[in-house]
Amino acid sequence: MTTPLIQISGLEKSFSTNEGWLGQWRFHRGKLTRFKDSVHALNGVNLTINQGETLCVVGETGCGKSTLARVIMGLTKPTAGEIHYLDQRIDQLNDRQRMFFRRRMQMVFQNPYASLNPRMTVYQTLSEPIAFHQPQLSRIEIDEKIEALLDSVGISPSSSDFYPHEFSGGQRQRISLARALSVEPDFIVADEPLSALDVSVQAQVLNLMMDKQAERNLSYLFITHDLAVVEHFATRVAVMYLGRVCELAPTSELFSNPKHPYTRALLSAIPRLDSTTAQPIRLIGEVPTPIEKPIGCVFQARCPHANQRCYEESPNMLLQSDSSSVACHAIEEGRI
Amino acid sequence: MNLLSVSNLNVNFKIKKQELAALIDVSFTLNRGERIAIVGESGAGKSILGFSIVNLIGKPGYIKSGSVKLENKELTKMNLRQLQEVRGKRIAMIFQDPMMTLNPVITIGDQLVETIRSHTKITYKDARNIAIEKLHNVQIASPETRFDQYPHELSGGMRQRVIIASVLLLNPDIIIADEPTTALDVTIQAEILQLLLAICHDNGVALVLISHDLGVVSKVAERTLVMYAGHIVEEGPTLEIINDPQHPYTQGLLNALPQMTLPGQRLNQIQGSMPSLAERPTGCAFHPRCPYATEKCQQEQPSFIHSGVSSVACFLVEDMVNEFANQDEEEL
Repeated sequence: MTTPLIQISGLEKSFSTNEGWLGQWRFHRGKLTRFKDSVHALNGVNLTINQGETLCVVGETGCGKSTLARVIMGLTKPTAGEIHYLDQRIDQLNDRQRMFFRRRMQMVFQNPYASLNPRMTVYQTLSEPIAFHQPQLSRIEIDEKIEALLDSVGISPSSSDFYPHEFSGGQRQRISLARALSVEPDFIVADEPLSALDVSVQAQVLNLMMDKQAERNLSYLFITHDLAVVEHFATRVAVMYLGRVCELAPTSELFSNPKHPYTRALLSAIPRLDSTTAQPIRLIGEVPTPIEKPIGCVFQARCPHANQRCYEESPNMLLQSDSSSVACHAIEEGRI
Repeated sequence: MNLLSVSNLNVNFKIKKQELAALIDVSFTLNRGERIAIVGESGAGKSILGFSIVNLIGKPGYIKSGSVKLENKELTKMNLRQLQEVRGKRIAMIFQDPMMTLNPVITIGDQLVETIRSHTKITYKDARNIAIEKLHNVQIASPETRFDQYPHELSGGMRQRVIIASVLLLNPDIIIADEPTTALDVTIQAEILQLLLAICHDNGVALVLISHDLGVVSKVAERTLVMYAGHIVEEGPTLEIINDPQHPYTQGLLNALPQMTLPGQRLNQIQGSMPSLAERPTGCAFHPRCPYATEKCQQEQPSFIHSGVSSVACFLVEDMVNEFANQDEEEL
């Protein structure tokens, strides 16, 4: 079923780089002038996350993936744009109003060594959100729930009095997932949940995430830079570059027929096991810093197909024949 | 003659009067200009091996026995002065995080010049010229400007290039690269790997790549060593190991990769996790996680045997090899 769960439209987020009002004043041509510098982390992102699907967001460091996750979760307020959960707008809520949605949306962070409180036992870590969101439950009911939860993520319930440091990285990430699942959410944002783990442990956590999705019809927003994981796990993939989505496509379409020049370069750069020695497409330079809002296409500086129009006009997402959508003038004009 | 030969190297850690073995009977050789990779999960002892080659193991760790020979010089018996002659000049290291390797309060140029001047008697001006030339070699644009910048002014990929330049300053024979691209994006990773390959090829430098990423390894190394819990469990040509892994651990590692299963299918995971140093099982260290483990595996440590072009430490493979040998004899 493709009922949209989360709808994001025109989302923008910029962070001020000046420290306070005083930091904005600088001498410019002999006069004290006020400057407002900001980093534009998100520049108009439009996305829809359907019920029961996994939307993967990929891109290089600094493209705004993590900011997107934090804005959706309401950990920072967006500068502009709207976020809807089912049919309710959630980006302008205050903390009290947001509480209902906090229960529906949970997050798993990158580093399980940092995201679990080292001074709380597993039992405390898991019981806190349950007791907070479901105060009607009795102590025994909470205990039962935690036991079932630990069991379901493959951690022995007898180790519920252990502290995080007594577990391995993979076990810790499974505890993080158990904590996210403890309030029975519909939607989980996972920000690079596998990047701190070894391949064999990655497989354990990924399997667990897929099992839970099948069990509870969960939706995931999965942020990663590991394209092998994306190919395996995602329903649809959004490729981000400098705060914009440049390609959005069903996984198989994206991997078999990448369209945007950036997506092509990104896919060619994955070191693959098979000995097809296709040379990676070289991108000149690195991701520019998003201090100044780019004019034209965000990718123009590194794009081998850029022309005058790309420098002047920002491309819009256009739907292609195979249900993917791409923001690129060159594709629109049929140049590539 | 081998450029580097490590034989029966044992490294222990002494913690609270307890002896913990981090490397057990590790042996391998490296030829001039050869590129090898060491792979395994975290805790396998890959980095310890890298460090102990140049005798950089700090307390509480120490080299218990075994030898590391660079040509015919024994590195484990050297004093600090002699070692400093080898480190950097003959064997150079690249570490994982370029931000941690570079000193944040000294300009890049000064760090490079310091490296040259501590090993050779040379004026600052000459050293500067060498440094700029090497920065140019690693494809850093406008090296003269970069020379006077601080590490924080450079991006991650740039910093790793600077490190590679610094490693090249003294024209070493061996580069040990400990997860050189783990902190980088895929597009940058591809560039750095290409650069590293080109440099090794052009200067005839031997490379020891320590990595957990089998994709990276397959692109760089000619030969691969697979490590598990302080042992080398399999050794052979990289392509052979990837296409026809023989040790159950290598098989598990490769099968766990997402590209090995169809999208949406459950991944093949290796049950359990790597034992800690204190809880090393008896016999073959992999037996609690091994799907083929027998009683013999629980009691005895398998020895390294040749199987085709690879060498494997596994009773299962040993039995198969013996069986084939017997068959051959019967046919004769």
